[in-house]
Amino acid sequence: MRRRRLRRVRNRRAVLVIAVCAIASAPLAAQAAQSPTPPGAASAGPPASLVVALGLRDPSLDAGVVRGGEVVLARGFEVELARLLARRLGARVERFVELRPAVRLVAGGAPSWQLALGGLEPSPRVRAAGALSDPYLTTDMAVVLRRHLPRPRSIADLRGHVLCAVRRSNEARTIATVVRPKAPPLLATGLDRLREQLRTGACDVALVPAVDTGRFLRGHRSELGPAVGRIPNGRGVVIAVARGGGLGVTAVNAALQRMRNDGTLGRLARAWLGLDPASLRVLR
Amino acid sequence: MRRVRLAIPAAVGACALVTVAPALGGTETRHGEVWFVRDGEPVAVSRTAPALPGLLRALLAGPTRVERAKGLRSAIPAGTDVRELTIARRIVTVDLGGRFAAGRDEESLTARVGQLVRTFRAVPGVAGVRIRVEGGVPVGLFPGYDLRRTIRAPLVSQSAPSLRDTQQLLADLGFMAQAGVTGRPGDETSVAVLAFEKWTGMPRDGVLGAAVLEALARATRPEPVRREPGKRVELLLDRQLALAIVNDRVERVFHISSGSDGRTPSGSFHVYRKERLSWSVPFSVWMPWASYFTGGIAFHEYSYVPAYPASHGCVRMMARDAPLMYAFATTGTPVDVLRGRA
Repeated sequence: MRRRRLRRVRNRRAVLVIAVCAIASAPLAAQAAQSPTPPGAASAGPPASLVVALGLRDPSLDAGVVRGGEVVLARGFEVELARLLARRLGARVERFVELRPAVRLVAGGAPSWQLALGGLEPSPRVRAAGALSDPYLTTDMAVVLRRHLPRPRSIADLRGHVLCAVRRSNEARTIATVVRPKAPPLLATGLDRLREQLRTGACDVALVPAVDTGRFLRGHRSELGPAVGRIPNGRGVVIAVARGGGLGVTAVNAALQRMRNDGTLGRLARAWLGLDPASLRVLR
Repeated sequence: MRRVRLAIPAAVGACALVTVAPALGGTETRHGEVWFVRDGEPVAVSRTAPALPGLLRALLAGPTRVERAKGLRSAIPAGTDVRELTIARRIVTVDLGGRFAAGRDEESLTARVGQLVRTFRAVPGVAGVRIRVEGGVPVGLFPGYDLRRTIRAPLVSQSAPSLRDTQQLLADLGFMAQAGVTGRPGDETSVAVLAFEKWTGMPRDGVLGAAVLEALARATRPEPVRREPGKRVELLLDRQLALAIVNDRVERVFHISSGSDGRTPSGSFHVYRKERLSWSVPFSVWMPWASYFTGGIAFHEYSYVPAYPASHGCVRMMARDAPLMYAFATTGTPVDVLRGRA
């Protein structure tokens, strides 16, 4: 009787120890699962399959369902770009993972991906990571007119008009520093209010992020004038190429250039963003 | 194989019922609301369904034929399946199949989350909703919603602007002065609405009703009839409006009342005389802020400015507007009096 009780106590202890061990080792196991060696990292040639990190910002650029760090049902401009780019590199996208936050890119250590597309601009911090591609998307500002306004040929032509932009945005700063209009600009609380100001004629010219211009105009083309050009800011969105991931940034740039030349990038932009920002005339 | 396929949803359903039952009164039949959309606006319809899973099934089934005939639609794609439904601490967690995220229409994607949240939040005791798709967290798929967090309220419809927003729209369009944007109702707003109704050809009652709000939501700034540089005034007799124009841009639209029975002559004139307080000899009445543009016909302030032509030939203006026109129409300003739009 006593022996049976002792055995039961021992069994309970054993179960408890196993449970504690399992709980303690779970984070390590998860960590191990989350940071695998990128496929192809060890091989000498370019990898046959790629792991691509996404920023997951909006449905047009990149979005999806995050399940244990992996992104399923991924869609958007950057998702399609990654797939086509992989094909040009003779590989395929094995899986998408989440890049959150984007600054993790430069946090050090071996990343669990080979390519990262997450609205990365080559700021000094991101540039420190090294392997950044040429821009695949412009961050210029599109110039959208109200209806019936004559087309400007230069930035100087904009100065006599009432300009508007979203408050505290790069576009608002560009109005103040580059355009320098005669009348004070109108600053909106968001893109919806900005569209309203342009529609009602409260302002004549709106400066909108070129990437958002297609969506800004979508469904409102009869109420607004056209996007007539863009003011360049010399920057763009780039791809981060992981060091030691088996991919060279030169190959990525060459593939991007081919996609630009054969119109693939433009088609992708029109399909997902509604407008190819690169197709807008540069205003100087 | 087929038996297995049938058994999985049944088991999931049973699990869901078991999990939900203690918190929401078991599997008893209950009256609830499911939410659909009509012309982009959320609309509730009542359903009798066994507890929360029943309401969810009713929502996913979409509107009935009768409801569809009344214009109700569901933004949730047909064939969306439920993987799991649980409730804990008054938070409903619903895991749906991948079809829930199908399509690229941002309005539809936002609306379907709104439908789910409204339907669950209408159930007494439910404090929030967590939405999962294919067992994961949707990120960036549904504009306006951060589904990493519990959703406690749907996004407020953009088509229900506040009075201040509406006044701002009227000011942006040029139907009232910026100073009139106060957020408080008043005659200035009514007059601006009246001018807007005249411009768009709506019934002239000055009431900010649903039809006016709908028209305002798509309205663009009035355009002048003629294209000429410089500062000028267009008087539209058919619409009973005066447009103050600078370089082909309509700066302000004024509600006016011109001469009855066509007593205001059409043609192109210039302001030739201005009197801060003018005395009308034939009618023995003071006419403040008078700007004469042909013979004895002038823009001036008057106490009664109806929505139709009522004067002896002059152009009556509201007390608030007359000084603005007086300041704008300086001597020599062209005035085009037009019977109809060219």
